Amino acid sequence: MTDEHLIAQLKQRDRNALKTVYLDYKTEFFKFMSRYKADAIVLEDIFQDALIVLYENAQNGKLDALKSTVKTYLFGIGKFMLFKHFRDGKKEVPTEETYLFDKYEQAVIEEVHEDEGPNEYQKKMVTNFKKLGEKCREILELFYLQGMKLDEITQTQGYDNKDVAKSQKSRCLKSLKQLIGKNNG
Amino acid sequence: MDKETLINSYFENSLGKDQLKEFEQLMKTDSEFASEVDFQKELQHSFKKNERQEIKQMLGDLNIVENDTETKVFSIRPWLAAASIALLVGVGTWMLFFTNTDINTNQLYASNFAPYDNVVHPIERGNAMINIKDKAFTAYEDGDYSMALKLFKQLQIEQTDPYITFYEAIVLMQLNNHQDAIPLLKAYIENDGQLKDRATWYLALSHLKMDEIENSKTQLKKLVDQDGFKMKAARELLEELE
Repeated sequence: MTDEHLIAQLKQRDRNALKTVYLDYKTEFFKFMSRYKADAIVLEDIFQDALIVLYENAQNGKLDALKSTVKTYLFGIGKFMLFKHFRDGKKEVPTEETYLFDKYEQAVIEEVHEDEGPNEYQKKMVTNFKKLGEKCREILELFYLQGMKLDEITQTQGYDNKDVAKSQKSRCLKSLKQLIGKNNG
Repeated sequence: MDKETLINSYFENSLGKDQLKEFEQLMKTDSEFASEVDFQKELQHSFKKNERQEIKQMLGDLNIVENDTETKVFSIRPWLAAASIALLVGVGTWMLFFTNTDINTNQLYASNFAPYDNVVHPIERGNAMINIKDKAFTAYEDGDYSMALKLFKQLQIEQTDPYITFYEAIVLMQLNNHQDAIPLLKAYIENDGQLKDRATWYLALSHLKMDEIENSKTQLKKLVDQDGFKMKAARELLEELE
């Protein structure tokens, strides 16, 4: 698979493409990182997190004008995370050049690396979200997760006009709140 | 701009300077407005964190499958080696005493060939199978090879995952169609597929089954030199062939 093809698939939120990247680069990633003498469990965790960053940054358009290969970018993320892990653990950090990420990319890397999963309330939100009808799940996910604008949603999902989409979204948020409230009491 | 539109534009990142000021002002003074924004932000976070968790789970499963296969290969290997030696001694003796014909490639093939585990596409049984890939690998795992072949052929047209070529070749071998399996394995190896060493082993076996001993030996030598997957089995098989 070429890098362009891969980036296109990631932008389409194709998670199976991530599986391919995982299988294709895992051995090499571990080899590449072996000189820093990190624990295998830590490395596995970092490799998986790095793939998530790759996935999210592809969607954010950060890979559209990528000057290196995807592999270099991915390994750069891994190195950045590992050094951060060392710093946090007060371990001596190798002084080495790392891939140059912009502020936005760094923020994503740190956020993903420190993400400890959804809390109880967030889990409850997702559980109740799944109980909504298909139309509601679709519009909420497109707007809040995929970052689509209401104008785009109106066009691609066949709403008559923006106001229809807007009030549909508003109704869905209300239903979700009611579901969460119901399961609270 | 009404409050709802203001909030929507905030999430769309399209607020102008003045509107942003208005938004921030409302966040401070209008508690209903603020709690609505907080709810929607929380929903956004929940989505994101949930997606990350799902991806980690998917990759974690892949890691488990990988490790399982490694141990399986490792634990089967001594047994397989012992079995193939026993068989070879038997076959060898039989040949010495009763015939002068060449090596029995069929026997050697049968004692060495086993379909490779599905390590690329974990199947969750019980889930509705929506895509062809799920169906193909389920058929593969179930040993329904003619069905698997049909589905893999279809996948080849629609997808670019290189490992599909590899698994299609294994299916062809199962169906005793080595003529078609060989070019697929060769192509997969040439394209530097992730399971390249595995493919080399299967290529050696396909050549063996076709009675192309020299070709088979070439592939086995590669495995012995690489000192990795199936190195021991390859060495033993090579000794037999020589």
